[in-house]
Amino acid sequence: MYDLIIFIVLLGIGYGFGRHAETKHYKSIIKREKQLNSIPAVASKIPPYRRNDLNSQLVTGSVVISIDYFKRFIAGLRNIFGGRVTSYESLLDRARREAILRMKEEAKNLNAEFVFNIKLETSSIHKGRGNSIGSVEVLAYGTALYAR
Amino acid sequence: MEYTNPELPEGINTSKEHPLKEFFILTVGLLALVFVVISSVVILVDNFADKIPFEMEKNIPVSSFIKNLDTEKLPPYLEKISQKVINSFELPEEMQITVHYVNDDTVNAFATLGGHIVLYRGLLEKLKHEDELAMVIAHEIAHIKYRHPIMSVSHGIVVGLVLTAISSSSGNSVVNEMMGTTGMASLMKFSREFEFQADKDAINSLIKLYGHADGALGLFNVFDSEFGKDLTFEFLATHPLTENRISQTTKMINEQTHTHGATMVTFTDEFQTWLKIQKVKAKEK
Repeated sequence: MYDLIIFIVLLGIGYGFGRHAETKHYKSIIKREKQLNSIPAVASKIPPYRRNDLNSQLVTGSVVISIDYFKRFIAGLRNIFGGRVTSYESLLDRARREAILRMKEEAKNLNAEFVFNIKLETSSIHKGRGNSIGSVEVLAYGTALYAR
Repeated sequence: MEYTNPELPEGINTSKEHPLKEFFILTVGLLALVFVVISSVVILVDNFADKIPFEMEKNIPVSSFIKNLDTEKLPPYLEKISQKVINSFELPEEMQITVHYVNDDTVNAFATLGGHIVLYRGLLEKLKHEDELAMVIAHEIAHIKYRHPIMSVSHGIVVGLVLTAISSSSGNSVVNEMMGTTGMASLMKFSREFEFQADKDAINSLIKLYGHADGALGLFNVFDSEFGKDLTFEFLATHPLTENRISQTTKMINEQTHTHGATMVTFTDEFQTWLKIQKVKAKEK
């Protein structure tokens, strides 16, 4: 019986804190995306313009976000029934956008006009018991162009 | 050439569905699935388990387990009551009951494979009347009569196998645990049904022997005062909650007899003295 109570408490904590963190994070992401929209970031490999007055430099942004108990539980159930793992979708969406934002912030510090050739890498960095995903890392990197 | 990053609308990569909705659908689905699977497996097993000849059950080596319990010879009084209750059951010839006594504080009694019944001193000390003792013995004999021990063992083995098979494929420890608990809870439902079935037969035996079944209520009241309020959910327990057993028993007694407030037979002085000596002996050990 105590196991059951502990389980419900953990689920509650996971849901409460996880949901709060996600809502807060999305608000912050949307706000900062608007602020940094002036610096375009594209996946193109070729720089958009060849100007001699520009320097280029690597910019990176990486983020690690942990799964919460509730999300992991739902994902575990999805392991049995199949279907969209929505609890992980929002987690990875947040992680990707946050990584790009951090990369752009670095570009902004360089007074960059543009970031090109951006790439994203995702990895699960902690495997919990039974190989369940504990947290994910997303790394975004690209080449920033800034005035000499 | 102008490059701009458009503002993308939200909700492309995420679901707008509330996570709690998904949680309830999936959890209820899984619980129902495990419950149905385990219940059907148990019902299937029950069809076979009670066909196992009692002779074969006797050959399963539980005797070594019983020996390890440090059992002692039954005093004549206990022997007499046991025999009286056994006779009231009119069991098939091959179903031989062996009653064992263990000098230990444990407040318990149980029936196991091969017709063995074990009584602990701890329980006997809590009782005051022969009727209550007869209820304990009759309850355990009823378990054997209905082949509950062999059925429980079969349930345990088969359900264990099924749960291991299911959980090894899910790969999530929390979900595994949940499936395990649900499986066990479904199994407990059958265990509680066994208890009610045994209670029912034991009450019938008491009525046959004493003309009333106050011994059953006496016994459950002892449980009530001994263990107090059950601090558990009934769906996770092997036995029905004592309060439910009391209400069930009262109902059954009201249906079957009209004699109420009949006096119960108290233990003989000889037996009470013997119990006291046993307690001293246990302490010396």
